Amino acid sequence: MFGIILRRLVYAIPIALGVSVVCFSLVYLAPGDPLQTILPADATADTIALIKHEYGFDRPIPVQFLLWLWHVVQGDFGVSIATRRPVTAEVLGSLANTVMLTSFAIPLSFVIGYTMGAIAGCFPGTWLDRVVTGSAVMGVSLPNYWVGIVLVIIFSVELMVLPATGMGLKGSAAFSIFDWNDAKFLILPVITLSLVPVGILARSTRAAVAEVRGQDFVITLRAKGLGEFAIIRHVLKNAMPPVLAVMGLQFGYLMGGSILVETVFTWPGSGFLLSKAIINRDIPVLQGAILMLAMVFVAANLVVDLLQAAIDPRIRRT
Amino acid sequence: MSTTVAGMPDSNLWPTETTQETQVRGYWGSVLRRLGRDKATLIFGLVLLLIVGVAVFAPLVAPFDPYKESIAGRLKPFGWRGHLLGTDELGRDLLTRLIYGARSSLLTGTVPVLIATIIGGSLGVIAGFGGRRVNTVIMRTMDVFYAFPSVLLAVAISGAMGGGMLNGMIALSMVFTPAMCRIAETTTSQVRSLDFIEAARATGAGTFMIIRHHVLGNVLGPVFIYASSLVSVSILLGSGLSFLGLGVKPPEADWGLMLSTVRQSLYVNPIICALPGAAIFITSVCFNLVSDGIRGAMDVRL
Amino acid sequence: MMRRLLPAIAAVALMAAGAARAESTITVAMTADDLPITTGVPDQGFEGYRFVGLSLYDALTSWDLSKSDKAAALVPGLATSWSIDPANNKRWIFKLREGVKFHDGCAFTADDVVWNLQRYTDKTVPQFETFQFALARPYLTSYASAEKIDAYTVAIETKTPDSLFPYPLSLIPMISKCRAEAVKYDWNAYANQPSGTGPYRFAKSVPHERMEFVPNTEYWDVARRPKQDRLVLVPMPEASTRVAALLSGQVNFIEAPPPDSMARLKSAGMSVLTNTYPHNWAYQLNFVSGPFTDVRVRRAANYAINRPDVKEMLNGLMEEGYSTIPPSTPFFGNPVLYKFDAAKATALLKEANCYPCNITLAISTSGSGQMQPLPMNELVKSQLEAVGFKVNFEVMDWNALLDVGRGGPDKFPKIHGIKISRAAMDPFYALIRHVARSQWSPAGGNWGHYEDPVVEKLVSDISAEFDEGKRLALIKGLNERMNDQAVMIWVAHDVNPRALSPKLKGFVQAQSWFQDLTPITVSP
Repeated sequence: MFGIILRRLVYAIPIALGVSVVCFSLVYLAPGDPLQTILPADATADTIALIKHEYGFDRPIPVQFLLWLWHVVQGDFGVSIATRRPVTAEVLGSLANTVMLTSFAIPLSFVIGYTMGAIAGCFPGTWLDRVVTGSAVMGVSLPNYWVGIVLVIIFSVELMVLPATGMGLKGSAAFSIFDWNDAKFLILPVITLSLVPVGILARSTRAAVAEVRGQDFVITLRAKGLGEFAIIRHVLKNAMPPVLAVMGLQFGYLMGGSILVETVFTWPGSGFLLSKAIINRDIPVLQGAILMLAMVFVAANLVVDLLQAAIDPRIRRT
Repeated sequence: MSTTVAGMPDSNLWPTETTQETQVRGYWGSVLRRLGRDKATLIFGLVLLLIVGVAVFAPLVAPFDPYKESIAGRLKPFGWRGHLLGTDELGRDLLTRLIYGARSSLLTGTVPVLIATIIGGSLGVIAGFGGRRVNTVIMRTMDVFYAFPSVLLAVAISGAMGGGMLNGMIALSMVFTPAMCRIAETTTSQVRSLDFIEAARATGAGTFMIIRHHVLGNVLGPVFIYASSLVSVSILLGSGLSFLGLGVKPPEADWGLMLSTVRQSLYVNPIICALPGAAIFITSVCFNLVSDGIRGAMDVRL
Repeated sequence: MMRRLLPAIAAVALMAAGAARAESTITVAMTADDLPITTGVPDQGFEGYRFVGLSLYDALTSWDLSKSDKAAALVPGLATSWSIDPANNKRWIFKLREGVKFHDGCAFTADDVVWNLQRYTDKTVPQFETFQFALARPYLTSYASAEKIDAYTVAIETKTPDSLFPYPLSLIPMISKCRAEAVKYDWNAYANQPSGTGPYRFAKSVPHERMEFVPNTEYWDVARRPKQDRLVLVPMPEASTRVAALLSGQVNFIEAPPPDSMARLKSAGMSVLTNTYPHNWAYQLNFVSGPFTDVRVRRAANYAINRPDVKEMLNGLMEEGYSTIPPSTPFFGNPVLYKFDAAKATALLKEANCYPCNITLAISTSGSGQMQPLPMNELVKSQLEAVGFKVNFEVMDWNALLDVGRGGPDKFPKIHGIKISRAAMDPFYALIRHVARSQWSPAGGNWGHYEDPVVEKLVSDISAEFDEGKRLALIKGLNERMNDQAVMIWVAHDVNPRALSPKLKGFVQAQSWFQDLTPITVSP
């Protein structure tokens, strides 16, 4: 087991390096001047030159990359052009807010998705199966940012029962999930964010359940005279690992993929930070945020891989 | 939003094609027969055909000029002066805008997938058939792009390039290429080790001949099915980019863009805000269900 | 026993009394997409000044924001009076206000003025900050040096005679030298404990999300001591989000609600305020190449614009724009106005031999002061095309448009006009920078490289004229000349709509980019 962990970790290093190259070069695709947002509309050439020098943008690009990488390895992602706060602090702070969303959205969608998928998988071909499968397809086909807008219209503007935007009355720093006045800010974004994973998890659960039901041991159990309920219990237990794997991957996706939902709800998470960095052309934040999010994603994949290997010895191959 | 990117072909291979024509016809025949029995797929397929038809013949079908504004006729309700679905924030006919919007949505749904299929598929076949070194270079490069969640990569690339429909499509193509490449590579490697390829090699067929005759036939199926399942992902991502202002630019009609511009008029006529979203939703559902149906009929597991 | 209990009872009673009077808070939803910086000159445009810069800080000169029925005038701020040295028309003498204290308790004196001006301009002093230098630069173009005469008198020299110098000085906040030295010029540390002389003290901020101010109970201008307990600023760039936040009670003061939300806001009992202010929604034109080099084409374009229609589209939320400044501006003068006349426009185009007249305009999808950019640009396009123009839009994001704005016609010869809204507060910003030779892009705001000997003469006369009455006449003449030459396509002046919860009372909306929130009371 230790060998596997080591091998996967070593394997992740060149990927991480590649990812950092992609992150760094991405932003040089950008047209225009990286510093233009902070420059006043009438900035003169000497002002621009002075600021460029201050931020190191006047160096050759390979030098900039190596310097950047050298600092990144030490955990220093530079300083935001717009706010001049350290990028590491910016990204970690917003990442924590996104984790707040996903850590509610993922369990919620797992419970709902697994239940739906289990029902469909246990009664294949029935109307129940069709309803569940149909809703699952709808879940993955929904533009979730649109659902977010619709929910805001209904619950914030018309009924006025839930807040429309932001993270708590006092901002994310003072956010407490144990205070209803803060916690209610979570409800709409979490529901919106859960829709797609619910669909995906329901579909994979259904497939997993169907596969387990076809396996020999179920036939054996049935031949042994086990009741249908007990068999279902066995089936569901055995269908769990692959679904958990999908859930782990979804966690990684949502970390970087919540950008649209966070934009609709002005949730101060990583996606929101990223979209703002794009609008402002805040290159250090863009680089740092994308890199860190990709790393979270790689780590999530790695963890899922290792857990699967731990659970199922057959996967322990290179 | 990425539905099946995690999916990978497993040992259940695509039914192996042989050189005997009759067997091929028999397989496709049974696929068609199975499809014919699948009422749901047929119905949604018809809806999809309708959407595609309307998009292609938009100038003939649309009741109004998509760019014709009217200040007096802004945000009008259903049926106002012949505007079946009312008008948008500039007084343009909403139905017409939706019809024209289908064009850009279908384009952003299919073009990137097509490009990714061609590039990713070829790279995958090359990786699967080339030597170990070629394989390593191609697949490890793909792994790097795999390390990004798809939404993040799409937003990052098109955001960095400054938005626009073309840049959005390039971004989406780059998002889908690694997945296509993996599918093609896995299938190719599996096919390559099969007996009939060895036999073909023994009879003196060149590599190119083998790829053309045997490998492609076997790889195209899974690649096609996987590609069809990506179309709805691509539509959702593409309209998401437009919603963020990184995709199609005004005054072009696009569902994602319409959603973001009519948002300001939410309080006057909420229903017009719902329509573009519903259009995205319906098209995406249709693509998903039809893709599922075809996959079921072709009996391929991804 | 009783002796121990009594203080406890008293404490409980006190707490109850405190709770009975709930803290009154103004929560403002700004249009900015991030919180403005607090280290002196704010970013986020004039909105940054409006809510942060001029709340925490004062400048030597200030604006009278107490009236809504006439244009805000320049008034004394930290300087009580100023005059030009009779012996040297490049040397200004500022008399400073005595007894003013920074939030940290240090007294404000002439040393602070010199120290601050050096901070914004002199690369060699320890308090110099590149970022602040860049932000302050446009306002200090004519500044040369500052010198302390006594504790409450400062002399400031300009490079050339500049009669308008006191205006941009209103945009140069005086920060606390004590605090900057206490944090050893670590501006990130300073940003979280800024100290100024303004009516509000910094309380705390959550980056990107909210910033909280509390009243400066010792503010030197007693009339402007804030009448609420707390001022909270929240950036909310999405207009519909701001409306939703106001309607759901998350905030009680929103900037720029979209025109289409007015009916809904009013029906929910919100007060919607508008007022004219020196804002200019117009196209700056290319005078180097393309059709607009011909004054007839420029006039034709102005005749083509049906401004009442634009106003109707915005539900009345604009003032028809016929000049760079709204008519209520003191230096408006008596310019020629191009009222809508399609026939005349077509005739002029034909006369100029540009029919159909192909033009390319660069516009953005959003941006500071752009109002409702897409619908307005679309409507203008259809109006221009109705008289014989063929309009091609280059749609870009705000930053790309600013890049075009800085690049000028040499870098972007194929673009014949750009739509960047500019503030038009004082004569220099409103008029001179758009037409003076010295302001040719990229050096200044004269994007299209306009050059006109009549204008040059007027500009140099204005700068050297220190008699206010005579200067006013010259400035009016400049505005009249700019209209005669149709140097822009004028469309609208924003009316700065904002919506307030009915619980907020006492707000007076000034005819200015800046507003005074201090008189607002909040009823529970």
